[in-house]
Amino acid sequence: MLIDVHAHLWKGRYEDDKKTILRLAEKYHVDRFYISSLGSLYPDREEIEELNGETRAFMKEEPGLVSGYCYVNPALESSLDTLRRGIEDGGMSGMKLWVATFCDDPRVYPLAEQCIRYGVPILVHAFYKAVHQLEFESLGENVARLAARYPEAKIIMAHLGADCYTQLKPVRNLKNVSADISGSLYRRGEVDYAVKTLGARRVLFGSDAPEANFLVNRGQVEESGLTAEEKALVFGGNAARLFGRSRPAAQGGGKE
Amino acid sequence: MERMDANCLVGSWPFRKAGRSTAAELRKIHGENGIRCGCVASLNSIFYSDPFEGEEELHEDLKGTEYRQVMTVNPALPGGTGDIAEGVRRFGIAGVRIYPGYHRYALGDPCVAALCAELKKQGLPLFLPLRMEDERLNYLAAPRPLPVREVESFLSEHRDLTAVVLGARPHEIESLGGELRSRPNLYFDLSGLKDGQFNVERLVGEFGDGKLVYGSLYPLYCLKSSLLQVETAEIPDRSKERIFSGNLLSALARPEGRTAVSG
Repeated sequence: MLIDVHAHLWKGRYEDDKKTILRLAEKYHVDRFYISSLGSLYPDREEIEELNGETRAFMKEEPGLVSGYCYVNPALESSLDTLRRGIEDGGMSGMKLWVATFCDDPRVYPLAEQCIRYGVPILVHAFYKAVHQLEFESLGENVARLAARYPEAKIIMAHLGADCYTQLKPVRNLKNVSADISGSLYRRGEVDYAVKTLGARRVLFGSDAPEANFLVNRGQVEESGLTAEEKALVFGGNAARLFGRSRPAAQGGGKE
Repeated sequence: MERMDANCLVGSWPFRKAGRSTAAELRKIHGENGIRCGCVASLNSIFYSDPFEGEEELHEDLKGTEYRQVMTVNPALPGGTGDIAEGVRRFGIAGVRIYPGYHRYALGDPCVAALCAELKKQGLPLFLPLRMEDERLNYLAAPRPLPVREVESFLSEHRDLTAVVLGARPHEIESLGGELRSRPNLYFDLSGLKDGQFNVERLVGEFGDGKLVYGSLYPLYCLKSSLLQVETAEIPDRSKERIFSGNLLSALARPEGRTAVSG
């Protein structure tokens, strides 16, 4: 089973990105893509509506392959309504937070509470940069604060936080946080380090396609020192469990 | 189909435990992936005060293997370029790598012109890494990024020098398109193809199959990440063969009758 928990449609590129995702699915036998649509860094309500509309259109066209995250800008008063419509009316499977606010901004709280009620995961962009860090770009510590406040929330920290060696430790004891490997960094040893730090049941395969290369991410898992069982968890088993609409185990302990 | 790796290293990368390898470990992972040999450089040489000490280590480590040694040179150091003839004589080096971003000089500096003159005299190719890791990551050291414009200007000034550009991202390769199309002795490796999909097909379509060489940047990057891109590419087997070995062999071929020049 191969499940990609982190892929995108980019604003203005619907047809091209859709074709790329479909070609990836066919060529590399991907069972399911979890998609969010993104555009500007600080989108207004209209743009959010347009982006989520594209995700929903793709879900409708490819129900056997594509599930969607509802993208929200927590700075907008309408964000809770956006989430409600995305999950309840649109059949979306999770919520996506990008860089409009930190993920532990108080304006995220009602959204996180609603996701707990729905039992859906929250995908949080988290990306450490030594240079050019964005103003509200979340780091491991932001994710940890959100996860500690809401131990029942199912949180996916994207990109291993970019620098797994510095960003995973804040969340290692928070069992409601998983991390996806998607991104554009791909250093050898990162998957092994993530599994050593979080446990194999908390690491997820994602590609960040179409911007980032699908095979580069796949190669990272294939070349890791994980057992066949652990690779199966990362490639799809963990995602299947996480997206089942149940609440996670309460917080506690370290890696599983 | 013979497979060679144009961009692999042994030694220790000082910033991460996973960034180290010995020749034996390299042979093992290459063997598991059907790669027979390649051009190996020393990670240690980048950071040693005298890079040549790293070359002596590397030579010992590679003894008895089919790997070709690519020598790391810091041309800004006194006598640095002079080490090349010594490397040819003692180690039979296959080429030279330089790291302007780590060793703090520019490709337009006179020391690089002197290095290029020596390489031409010796008939050796230059291996030019644009980066070793993503510039955004390392909080301990911040090597100067090598701008594509600087690389393009350098390449256009040294058109008779065989060069293999390493670690370029797809958009950077496209930016070097003018140089790539207009000369037969310029190649680029696969290790930087991290963005977008189906890059091998696209680049072969754009520049032909005579420009791309397989290079992994192992042990810093996963070998499989680059290997899968060639293995799964929808291009003729003949093109894959050139990428896996034919183009690198062309880059390494020394001019007719050229032997080591010492002193």
